[in-house]
Amino acid sequence: MAAQRKPSVILDVLCSLKLAIVCLSLLMVLVVACTLAQVSLGTNGAVSMFMRSFLVWWKPEGWRTSLPIFPGGALVGMVLAVNLIAAQIRRLAFTLNKAGLWLVHAGLILLVAAEFVSAALQVDSRMPIEEGQTRDFVEWTNNYELSITDPSDANVDDIYSIPDSLLRAGASIPLDGTPIAVRVHAWYRNAEMRRRNPNDPPAMATQGIGTEIDVREAPPVTSEDSRDNPTAVVEFLAGSKSYGTWLASAGLGAPQSFIHEGHTYQIALRPRREYLPYSLTLKKFSHDVYAGTDIPKNFSSLVHLVDKGRGEERDVLIFMNQPLRYAGRTFYQASFGKNDTLSILQVVKNPGWTLPYISCALVTLGLLIHFTLSLQRGQRSRQRLTQEAAKATT
Amino acid sequence: MKNTKALIPWLVALVALIGGASGLMTSGKVRSFEVEKFMQLPVLEGGRVKPLDSIARNSLLVIRSQQTFRDHDRTVSADEWLLDVMFNPRIANEEPVFVINDPDVLGLLGIKQSAERYFSFATLQPHLEEVEKQADLAHPIDAKQRTRFQSAIVNLYDRVYLYYRLQHSMQLPEFGPLADEIAARNDANAEKRHTEMMQLGLFRALPGAALSDWRNVGEALRDAHAGAPVDRGLTILAQASAAWSAQDPTAFNSATDALLATARPAELAAAAREETFNLAEPFYAGMVLYVIALLILFVSWVYQPKILAQSAYAVLLVALFVHTAGLVSRVILQGRPPVTNLYSSAIFVGWAAVVLGAIMERLYRKGFGTAVAAAAGFASLIIAHHLASDGDTMEMMRAVLDSNFWLATHVVSITIGYSGTFLAGAIAIGWAIRRHVEKTPDPATDKALLGMCYGTVCFAMLFSFVGTVLGGIWADQSWGRFWGWDPKENGALLIVLWNAIILHARWGGYARARGLMAMAIFGNIITSLSWFGVNMLGVGLHSYGFMDKAFWALVAFGSTQLLFIGLALLPPRFWSASGQLAPRTSAPAAT
Repeated sequence: MAAQRKPSVILDVLCSLKLAIVCLSLLMVLVVACTLAQVSLGTNGAVSMFMRSFLVWWKPEGWRTSLPIFPGGALVGMVLAVNLIAAQIRRLAFTLNKAGLWLVHAGLILLVAAEFVSAALQVDSRMPIEEGQTRDFVEWTNNYELSITDPSDANVDDIYSIPDSLLRAGASIPLDGTPIAVRVHAWYRNAEMRRRNPNDPPAMATQGIGTEIDVREAPPVTSEDSRDNPTAVVEFLAGSKSYGTWLASAGLGAPQSFIHEGHTYQIALRPRREYLPYSLTLKKFSHDVYAGTDIPKNFSSLVHLVDKGRGEERDVLIFMNQPLRYAGRTFYQASFGKNDTLSILQVVKNPGWTLPYISCALVTLGLLIHFTLSLQRGQRSRQRLTQEAAKATT
Repeated sequence: MKNTKALIPWLVALVALIGGASGLMTSGKVRSFEVEKFMQLPVLEGGRVKPLDSIARNSLLVIRSQQTFRDHDRTVSADEWLLDVMFNPRIANEEPVFVINDPDVLGLLGIKQSAERYFSFATLQPHLEEVEKQADLAHPIDAKQRTRFQSAIVNLYDRVYLYYRLQHSMQLPEFGPLADEIAARNDANAEKRHTEMMQLGLFRALPGAALSDWRNVGEALRDAHAGAPVDRGLTILAQASAAWSAQDPTAFNSATDALLATARPAELAAAAREETFNLAEPFYAGMVLYVIALLILFVSWVYQPKILAQSAYAVLLVALFVHTAGLVSRVILQGRPPVTNLYSSAIFVGWAAVVLGAIMERLYRKGFGTAVAAAAGFASLIIAHHLASDGDTMEMMRAVLDSNFWLATHVVSITIGYSGTFLAGAIAIGWAIRRHVEKTPDPATDKALLGMCYGTVCFAMLFSFVGTVLGGIWADQSWGRFWGWDPKENGALLIVLWNAIILHARWGGYARARGLMAMAIFGNIITSLSWFGVNMLGVGLHSYGFMDKAFWALVAFGSTQLLFIGLALLPPRFWSASGQLAPRTSAPAAT
């Protein structure tokens, strides 16, 4: 008998109201911790430590390993979602009285799902674009690539790019369609660079600007304001012939190049590019301030959108609170520079962007229905009470 | 007899209404000078056109933390003070307007700490170089890292600089009256003086076709120097300056009429409306009326319960009317939804709480709705008063906030959610206090309070949730993500989570009367942290509401709430009416 009852105990716990309260309380603790930790870890660091993890890890002073000390936001969110679904099926009768709660809980499950979807699928990128420029690619925010460009063809540049996920020390990567292969000597997610002193260790690079630069690996940055400086040391080989070892870094300005059999190859390490089947041209960037102050009134970019595939060609004004949604991507006015001639658009691809909207509508409707119904019930019971009181006095 | 008694609440309401509107009943004159009329002059400052009166009040509020002050047994209004600052610098420099509390700053100025906290510009003048030196040392340090002395010295420097700019807006005190300045517009040093005035002038008093064409006095002088005819407004300002410094009311009043005739009618009308709003001080009047309502209610508990409770409710409604009038005036003047910054959020949170409390009083008629509504209204207006000391409370909205639709939906819902949570907490505090003061148990009232508290939590839950999700949608529209775990977003989420916990604990039967009330009081702490606390972290995208002064106020508030939670949680045998309860232990008061 005991063996038969066991699954129902687990089920009882899974759909109990107590579990929901425990999960909500844990979530509160996590949210507080995540908020306070943002001061030292930055938003991304705190969110990945507390909210987007299954367990919160802590490394005591002097220890080699970390200890899991608290359930993370992803775990709590998942348990909460399971609890919601289980309770919904098990406890709540499908009656008109409970219709509001059904809607609320369905909306909440959707909201939790939406957070998982955007954690997994959302891709953030940017498009810096100067007035008059035309751009048909976006740059990923947290991914980089080693690009080797062959501009020999007057009409189109041949670009070979290696994503940072393949840049591991010791890797050897052939560039398809060319006799060239790349051997990676070193790869740093973030590196500090400075001009070499005579007593520094010898430079790894044997060619180009890298011979004069001392490179040290640095911990990845956490604050919102600064960015990593990803850096690689790579050697280019054509068969058995070496074109030397080069330093490639996002922190280097001037392009470096070598020549092989009449083809020039330009080397750069840059934010990973993703090409779009359409292009944007920045016609005008405006930065308005309130008269007599520095308070910004509006930022806007007037862009010209050309999509030959779909036959669309039109002007779009992108400004604060008014993004351009096009072909699954959303372009926001994010920043600006170069004396108000450079506009930086943030580009987000999130297949789940509509989910929160639906969820919001469901929960709001549900809460309204539920509270209206209980208000009516309360009104009725109050009336009954006053009637009884009236009877009692007479 | 009975009929006259029934009239009393109405009479009380009438008196309250007259008292509330008393701010509007002034002659507008100071020693027969049409000061109020002069101060209607529309000027451009901080990106919007406002009456000179607003500049005077906001500046004096920043410099002295008050809108009027006493000097030699005379009350000086902000308007009169500004006229002295601009046109009669020798008198203004002697007026004690700089409030200095920090002992180290006083020490730096060579002043012994005494009861005197207000000092004149003339007193500060010999030490200004030292103040500037110390402020320069403190400036590069991040505002949150500064020591108390460093914050105080930077603050003093900023106030002195504001005073200095006001004083150089119309004429150069070092040179002389505006008329002399106009006459000497082509002399050797004129250009240098014009540049100084162009840079220092705080506001632009001379209208242009578009907002960007408005000029300050320095710019108008420069144009006259370049050969343009002397602006008519400039000449009239010079006459007003001469009349004020010679204390000639007739000349001043005719200059005032001429000056207002140069303003465009629409702008003048808007500026006059704003000045009327400033004069009425509806939020100050409301604050006083809320206190009166509360006092009358307290008296009603020992004397004439029915009449006085009704009178308290009547005063509460008048206070609400005045509060509403102020809120609506701000919306009209600004052309924005009611909540645009921290200051207006305090006013709105209080307003919504009072509306809810008044409705509750209508439903239950226990005097309890009046009590929590009056307390909430008073507390929020006091908070707003302290938030106003940064200057203009109707400042322009930064680009990302420039969306009336989202301000009206997201921000308003969130603040109504704050109101609801605070109101539930206030009801719970009232319940907890009742436990320890009431002489005889009153289960009917207890039940009503429980119902009120539960209903308010539901209400708060609905609005905080809707507000939070609407905020997510706004963020998706403007920053490209629905949810970013930004501190302010987390604060809103905490309120939603806490209300959800309260409701589920109630539905599951884990929290009964004491539990529900204690949890509702804890909601006050969470809401206050979400409202003000997260701004103190100084991280995240919402840090436009940043403030550092409120830390200790928040700690004190949190401690009192913990005390109330303790009171609420004490088991029934500690209650004051426990003796009477004892025989009926089979029916515990906790339901």
